[in-house]
Amino acid sequence: MVLFEVFINGIILGGMYGLIALGLNLQYGVARILNLSYGEFFVGGAFTAFFTIMLWQYNPLLSLFISMPIAFAMNWLIYQYLMTPLIRRAPDQDALDADVVLVTFGLFFVFQGLALVYWSGDLRGYTFLSTPVNFLGATLAMNRLLALLGACLIAAVLFVILRRTRFGAALRAITIDPVAAGLVGIDVRRYSALAFAAGGALAAASGMLVSTFISFSATTGVAYTLKALIVVIMAGVGRVTGTLAAGVLLGVVEALGGYLIDPALTIAINFGLFMLILLLRPTGLFTRA
Amino acid sequence: MNRRKFLKGSAAAIGAATLPTVSAQAQAGPDKIRVGYAITQSGPLGPGAESTVVSQYKLWNKRVNDAGGIALKKFGKKVPIEMVSYDDQGKPDELIKLVERLIQQDKVDMILSPYATHMNLAAAPIVNKYQYPVIMTTSTTTKTYDLSKRLPYAFWQIVQPNEATQPLANYIGELKKQGKLKGTVAIVHPTIEYGVEMHEAFQNAAKKAGIDVVFSKSYPFGASDLQPVIREAMAKNPEVFVAMSYPPDTFMLTEQMQVVGFNPQIMYVAIGGVFPTYKGKFGDKVNGILAYGGQDKAVPGYAEYIKAHQEFHKRDSEAGAVSVYAALEATQQAIETVGEIDRPKIRDVLASATFKTLWGEYKYVDQRCSSPWAIGQWQNGELVGVFPADKQGAKPVLFPKPKWS
Repeated sequence: MVLFEVFINGIILGGMYGLIALGLNLQYGVARILNLSYGEFFVGGAFTAFFTIMLWQYNPLLSLFISMPIAFAMNWLIYQYLMTPLIRRAPDQDALDADVVLVTFGLFFVFQGLALVYWSGDLRGYTFLSTPVNFLGATLAMNRLLALLGACLIAAVLFVILRRTRFGAALRAITIDPVAAGLVGIDVRRYSALAFAAGGALAAASGMLVSTFISFSATTGVAYTLKALIVVIMAGVGRVTGTLAAGVLLGVVEALGGYLIDPALTIAINFGLFMLILLLRPTGLFTRA
Repeated sequence: MNRRKFLKGSAAAIGAATLPTVSAQAQAGPDKIRVGYAITQSGPLGPGAESTVVSQYKLWNKRVNDAGGIALKKFGKKVPIEMVSYDDQGKPDELIKLVERLIQQDKVDMILSPYATHMNLAAAPIVNKYQYPVIMTTSTTTKTYDLSKRLPYAFWQIVQPNEATQPLANYIGELKKQGKLKGTVAIVHPTIEYGVEMHEAFQNAAKKAGIDVVFSKSYPFGASDLQPVIREAMAKNPEVFVAMSYPPDTFMLTEQMQVVGFNPQIMYVAIGGVFPTYKGKFGDKVNGILAYGGQDKAVPGYAEYIKAHQEFHKRDSEAGAVSVYAALEATQQAIETVGEIDRPKIRDVLASATFKTLWGEYKYVDQRCSSPWAIGQWQNGELVGVFPADKQGAKPVLFPKPKWS
């Protein structure tokens, strides 16, 4: 019975990993920008939720109406005014990657510094839906379940957009080959900017959902950037449902390994799985060879 | 007041042989007391250093100078403080260089503690070498017991692992003798040095107190889900749950224990359990929870301190910050007792006198605070000190802990 509960909680934990990684996969997969300041938008979403419930006493879910548009706009501006000049002058993708890493690393320091000045370094947390839910005898936390549902919802919406709309088809074309996409008349820069901005908005949304059950501070962003990066690389760039699946795999393996072997080993198990996948399928689990 | 004149003046007061002294100026005494510190202001430890330590240094600086300064009775006047600070970036080697720079180039009169155990341990031999008495404020490790003999100029403010855990083990042992508990304990800790040392100290104390540790597991620092560990502990049906936790897991354990309905009769969490934000998150559910550290808000001077803190920092203080402020008060009282900047004499006063601070009345025995707050408890929504039980201001423990709902 406990094993079943551990398993289900592993799925929920994995849903959270997938949720965090979805936005980064849009930014990295479609827009081809490895954004190291990604986690700062996660933190922004978490703080907006925190202030919404603790300061203004509204449902923290409402904070999504503030944090997502702001994150969307900021990421759009970052793409248009910081990334575009880099893309223009870079001779090839490798040179671009190096520039992008440096610039977004700088942005990470700027955003974290501002967050520290205005929000201080205190650890924050609030209580929202921390009620137990009984699922076939296993006890789950409502707020964690909500994050999983949020992850599934976002993944489903993204999937439909990417698979069923013209806009999505254009985005997929850019993912596969940005040069060829440009040649067939797709406005690569505009579409990439939108994908990048949407990724930022998803970072804020995941920050909001995760903040209901994990405490955070102005400096926690980078940890989530790294977690998201692991999931994205495991799944393969540009794979939406694959991101969610890779997250769930990571969560289940971590939970079961922790329970059956030793909880102290969970991080080691995580990275062990990550290394195994890098060795066996370096382009990611869900990419077509 | 130019820099050279000040240096001559203070050097005369120190009686150090490094600079020529001019007796006429020595009579006048220094115009400033230069206080230096190197501390982490960037990197992951930066925020903690700011909220617990640097905020207190700044507040102390302002309050002392608003009151005219530190009284140097040898010169019959009050002398304001001037702070000199550097960022050690969380690197011990950088810290050591900066402390030497403060001493040799800036020639500061006094040095204040850096932040975090390993940084305090790095700084202690340096300040000892140059004979600068420093109260290390945020260091807790079993190594301290040896260090106080070897490093006479290093003082240790907060509770060390043995004293932090023994009162809890003894209290559980006492309840067992009275037949109120069978004495079964589950203990968990994150795999970081603090967690490991606190865990070992508690295991030893538990053995001596004759209580049974029925479950003991570690988890990685930064884990995202602690429900499996809690479930395992629950399966042993312990009466007492002890977590030698760090802030993020302190919060997570508390929440997930509520979700699965784990209601031990005694619950202890380590760092983070005394934070105002902990109460902010859990509200009245914190009542009955024991935590590392403590304070007594009825102590003389606390009301003025908290008012000044609110005005200066626009936020509340917390127990850890209060212990830092108390170390500053003790330093100031030692300087004022000596009446001049004579560091060996200040060291001797620190090592022998009794200090009245926001942390109550205490001495430094073997350079360790004789009665630091070890364990606090939330009672009626307020954090109170409960151990050491014989410390002034200590309240009786609320037992058993109220159930979550």
